[in-house]
Amino acid sequence: MKKIDLHIHTVSTISDYHFEFDLSKLKEYVEKLEIDCIAITNHNTFDFDQFNIIRDSLDIVVFPGIEIDLEGGHLLLISDNSEMSEINDFSNKCERVRKLINTKDEYISLEQFKEIFPSLDKYLLIPHYHKKPIIKPEVIEQIETLISAGEVSSYKKFKTCVKDEFSLVPVIFSDTRYFSEMKNFSTQQTWVDLEEITLSGIKSCLTDKQKVFLTKEEGNDFFQATAEGLMLSTGLNVLLGERSTGKTVTLDKIFNTHENIKYIKQFSLLQNDAQKFEELLSRRHSTVSEDYLKEFKKVVDNVKDIDLQQNINDIDKYLNSLLKFASDNEKADAYSNTKLFSENHFGVKDLLGLKKLINATITLRENTEFKTIIDRHINLASLKSLEIDLMKEYIRIEEANLKKEWINNLITKVKDELRFRTSLTVPSDVDFYRIMIENEKMKKFVSIVENIKIEKEIDRKEIRGFKIVATTKPFANASHLKKICNRQISLVNAYDKYLKPYSYLVALKKADIEDTELFKYFIDIEYKTLNKLGFPVSGGERSEFNLLHEINDALKHNMLLIDEPESSFDNIFLKNEVNALLRDISKSIPVIIVTHNSTVGASIKPHYVGCTKREIVDNKIVYKTFSGYPSDKQLKSVDGETIDNFEIMLNCLEAGQDEYEKRRTEAYEILKN
Amino acid sequence: MNTKKEELRLMKYLKIEDNKGHYISQTGDWCEIDQISKDDLIYLLNKAISEDFKMDEYLEENVGHKAHQIVYKSIHEKFSGLVENKNVFKDECDSLFKAAIEKYEVADEEE
Repeated sequence: MKKIDLHIHTVSTISDYHFEFDLSKLKEYVEKLEIDCIAITNHNTFDFDQFNIIRDSLDIVVFPGIEIDLEGGHLLLISDNSEMSEINDFSNKCERVRKLINTKDEYISLEQFKEIFPSLDKYLLIPHYHKKPIIKPEVIEQIETLISAGEVSSYKKFKTCVKDEFSLVPVIFSDTRYFSEMKNFSTQQTWVDLEEITLSGIKSCLTDKQKVFLTKEEGNDFFQATAEGLMLSTGLNVLLGERSTGKTVTLDKIFNTHENIKYIKQFSLLQNDAQKFEELLSRRHSTVSEDYLKEFKKVVDNVKDIDLQQNINDIDKYLNSLLKFASDNEKADAYSNTKLFSENHFGVKDLLGLKKLINATITLRENTEFKTIIDRHINLASLKSLEIDLMKEYIRIEEANLKKEWINNLITKVKDELRFRTSLTVPSDVDFYRIMIENEKMKKFVSIVENIKIEKEIDRKEIRGFKIVATTKPFANASHLKKICNRQISLVNAYDKYLKPYSYLVALKKADIEDTELFKYFIDIEYKTLNKLGFPVSGGERSEFNLLHEINDALKHNMLLIDEPESSFDNIFLKNEVNALLRDISKSIPVIIVTHNSTVGASIKPHYVGCTKREIVDNKIVYKTFSGYPSDKQLKSVDGETIDNFEIMLNCLEAGQDEYEKRRTEAYEILKN
Repeated sequence: MNTKKEELRLMKYLKIEDNKGHYISQTGDWCEIDQISKDDLIYLLNKAISEDFKMDEYLEENVGHKAHQIVYKSIHEKFSGLVENKNVFKDECDSLFKAAIEKYEVADEEE
């Protein structure tokens, strides 16, 4: 069995964050993690000189490779290392890739890729498979015969691929950058069933799901949790240990060694403050609010610049100037007597409706899914001629519009010229159509606002008996509006007009509320969490709900770590709800629980148990970790040391055997009798 | 007075009579066009988009009064533009905020 990591970064490229490669760290990594073979795979580049230095300094097999941006995904391409000329040729090809990709969003096409690497069969190709950014299945299909393995990002995905007969052979690698300040090494590598490492040997292993593993001896039911060698189950693990023996330190290490982990820290779920809890709910469910108000936002965006008062002023101005011009008629001179002097502008016809109609006709004609039904009612020929007629009409109106616009411009120009030469004022113009449409918009806006102000339930979700209910509610006063507004501004004047949507909108703008935020000030969306009986939750229940929510959320992650869930809950809740949920989740992702509580630690029936211990050796504190199956009499450390499992259980969960016996016989038995 | 009622029935709002232009005021009376106010205009605008809005065509020879010529012609043109586009206006209004109206009304019904 050999441990391989074929995804390692040693050059900081445009696709990476900045780092200074540190060879000693890479060396430390391969030694500490006992890795047998690595590949250097930088983004779209291969540094030949650096590769030689790395290869010469490590005692393990090092393959030259490259991680290529291909059709929007990433692909590892690894070359053989046996002949210098071969590496040289590979290096030249990589240089061509490098020249083609100059920004982090660029990629090469499959054609370019095949052109640069015409003999793909001599390389090992590993696409990002269940790992972002993935190489699309249709791209894989086109080089399928040369691809047998795909990179995954989590143990869960690795196990799923192994079980799925249609999936590629999964591999999991560190995909890490090595620099002097790094503190934790990744423990994500793949074991392959191989005696001697050669590229062809690895290629052959990676065609067979029976030859890839997460561990050396324990198959795929375990994984290496820390660089120090702690092995844990890919199912449910309980980590025990007395106070200050390094349990949280161990969890932190696991957290820092892996990616995309859900880590529920101790006491983080306590929720005694009802208001903070409501804020948390609002944040968590902000998509519900956004979804609900999406259309309203569009309406507000559309009406926010309408100025009804200005419209009335425009009418007034038009009329006054017209009447004045008419009454001053006796003073008319040659300039003001010209027809154009008092000429109105042409109204231009809006073509939006017709455009929609044309598009609808095209949709009807092009639809293939319901073609038979459409054909039954409208024949294609008349549909086509309808489309043509509508288009002709469109062109006709568009042409007329253009002419009108041209004339309007001319009228304006001539009027301007004439104005300078006469004592009479030019009658101003006004667009009645726009004014009437804006009036209509405002009416509809007001009616929409009145509708949304009616209190109603807009969303309801259930999490294990708890219900989260979102309801709309009008704002009760100006300070209620502060919930929306993060700035220190007074909204008292604005709120006075809350019942008149248009005046309120104007007042909000006056109060300097940003245009993009205006829509939020019309209704409040309140989130309430109800318990099983339908009543608002108590402080304790809020914490319970939080835990259930967080645990549910864990499924989006690769692993779940929980530090002392008992710190926030009572035993009944832990036993009835939490244990069941954690067991369920551990079927999908590894779960690691740190606990002192017997309800969690013992009743949950973990797959695997770990235990931390602090010892003083030569005046120095040494943290040790032991692990084993719950049924094992002894738990073992990485270096073979053992401790008694039963004793550990009683010490950590029951405050020692004496206390346990005392409680059992003195307290519980007495109560029972 | 009889003619006023008759013309109201025909939904006529602007007319030419006795060499002068006239409009129907908010009280339903015919008034001379040079007396028209901003509020009268707004009233007529609402009528123009909601009712069958009829007007006497502007013919210069029918309006002897010079000031009336100017005012009637201008207002007549403005209203003609609006009335011509009434269907477009109706379509545009019907599609205004349709998604929002449906969304918030439907939610209301569900309650």
